[in-house]
Amino acid sequence: MPPRPPRPRPVDPPTEVIPRVEDEDDYDDEYYDDDDYYDDEDDQPAPPPESFARKAVRGFGEALITMGMVVLLFVVYEVYVTDLLSAEKQEEATAALDSEWSSNVVTPPPSDPNRKAKTTLIEGKAFAKMYIPIFGNDWKFSVVEGTTDKHLEIGPGHYKDTAQPGEPGNFAIAGHRVGKGAPFNDLDLLQSCNAVVVQTQTQWFVYRVLPMSNEVAGWASNPKSKDAACAGVAPLATTLGDAYAKTVGQEIVVPTQGEVIASIPHQVNATVPPEKQARLLTLTTCHPRFSDRQRLIVHAIETKSYPVADGFVPPEMTEG
Amino acid sequence: MYGWIWRHLPGPLYLRIIEAVVLVVGVVALLMFVVFPWAEPKLPFNNVTTQ
Repeated sequence: MPPRPPRPRPVDPPTEVIPRVEDEDDYDDEYYDDDDYYDDEDDQPAPPPESFARKAVRGFGEALITMGMVVLLFVVYEVYVTDLLSAEKQEEATAALDSEWSSNVVTPPPSDPNRKAKTTLIEGKAFAKMYIPIFGNDWKFSVVEGTTDKHLEIGPGHYKDTAQPGEPGNFAIAGHRVGKGAPFNDLDLLQSCNAVVVQTQTQWFVYRVLPMSNEVAGWASNPKSKDAACAGVAPLATTLGDAYAKTVGQEIVVPTQGEVIASIPHQVNATVPPEKQARLLTLTTCHPRFSDRQRLIVHAIETKSYPVADGFVPPEMTEG
Repeated sequence: MYGWIWRHLPGPLYLRIIEAVVLVVGVVALLMFVVFPWAEPKLPFNNVTTQ
């Protein structure tokens, strides 16, 4: 405080100054007292009585937190770690397939592409490569024979006893939608006429997704049917008869409906001679995502095939 | 549980921290590479085939 100018009246200073100084002192004392008081309290809780109930409640809480962490870790495992493990297996399978293809003498495909030697498929071994150009250039998987959990960890798996690529009947493949490389993660996004390209040692096969159930009725008048991509694609009931009435681009079924991978989907007991059967491709995966309540099924029909040649890539591969 | 483990870890503070991290990593690895691969086929998440 700046020194005040001396005041004319001498009576005031004692009444003003002395009580104020005392007040400040008192305040300081109280402040320090408080500090000491709090310090004491901080020291006190160190030895609390550990009752049984207290331990039990804490143990229960810790157990709940631990279980929550385990569940979160499982999600991480399912969505990311299995991808890493499967990527390695898929790479090995692809490498094995590549070396097999390059070491074998490639016999030129028969002049009639409808007649070709049937390859013997070995379970767990890759025998074909699969591309879906609309999903991007990097979408490629080697397809293995067999659909057990072990096989599907490697990549999409071919249902045993269904047709081979390019054969009349139903070339059926299962694949994971979540984790394990999730090859069929986006299967629900496939539209009619999207290409699915399958490469074997000797041939390329171009399959195209069939018209969806809501497109079947007006397909002829649908402008989409005039697209170049849709050449050879039409509702199968109109081209091949009623046996194929239920075969549409996409369907969602219950897991027990194995008839979707029959030679003629949904017609297990049909007696159509092979030469009159369509060359179909069927992809199956779980639905909805993260659940196994239903199955998502995509049907496609072969529209083109090319012999494998050095440096040749089907033009369909650049679609997308 | 966690308090009990921490009190029973030997050594000075920095060593205890290292030991705790090793324990956590060990448990996570056990879950990831042994428990989850065993449990996963038994859970209804990822069946993709029709029968």
